[in-house]
Amino acid sequence: MLIRRLKENAIELIDIEPIEAELLRQVPGVCDSGGDDQSEARLFSSPADSSENQFLNDWAEYVRPELRHLFLSARKTVKEDLEKLSDIPGRLGRLVIPRTHSDAWLNALNQARLILATKFNFSARELSTHAAPKWFSRRDLVLQQINFYAEIQERIIDATEE
Amino acid sequence: MAETVVETKVETSLGTPWNVVVHDDPVNLMSYVTMVFQRVFGFSKQKAQHHMLEVHHKGRSILWSGARERAEFYVQQLHGYLLLATLERAE
Repeated sequence: MLIRRLKENAIELIDIEPIEAELLRQVPGVCDSGGDDQSEARLFSSPADSSENQFLNDWAEYVRPELRHLFLSARKTVKEDLEKLSDIPGRLGRLVIPRTHSDAWLNALNQARLILATKFNFSARELSTHAAPKWFSRRDLVLQQINFYAEIQERIIDATEE
Repeated sequence: MAETVVETKVETSLGTPWNVVVHDDPVNLMSYVTMVFQRVFGFSKQKAQHHMLEVHHKGRSILWSGARERAEFYVQQLHGYLLLATLERAE
């Protein structure tokens, strides 16, 4: 897969392998924490220590719903873009992301990586290790998935800065 | 007859300053964190990278200090980008 800027207004993903297309399609679903407490705690981390009682209460009442709306909106945008992913059997896929959607993609990819890393309890050391394991457990495959999403984030950031 | 409501806004900027602190997170990419600092605070890339590296090496960095209301706004913006950010009273 190659990710590049397409003119001024879009980012183009070309030569998307079927396995890459599958991982991309999983992004919106992965972003759904399914009510997992630890994932929710990471997505909605505390903005202050417990001494800021009133601030924390106001945050929970007013800010948190706004953040949830923002995160859901990013997922929805990514899901709608993915419906346009060309997927003809025997051919590599292509996807064009409007540049105005790049923030939604970065956000959704970040949500997906944070949730996967939290659910599978990856350490900082594991997340910075790119060496291929000797055998692939489900956890090892998830780490590959996290790193795949990270590479896409890097390329989208590059493309938006070009 | 319309009633005039006069609101008195308490000026908090003269009180104790508040810090906007970003904490290390192994998931967020260095390039992503740098980009977020540029966008939220209007930093140059060099300044944003300096703070990103401080977060990475020291575990935290104070991104901004000043009035409480503005600090709350910045913390909210950073949470929107999924960074670990907190509001702390400046020492």
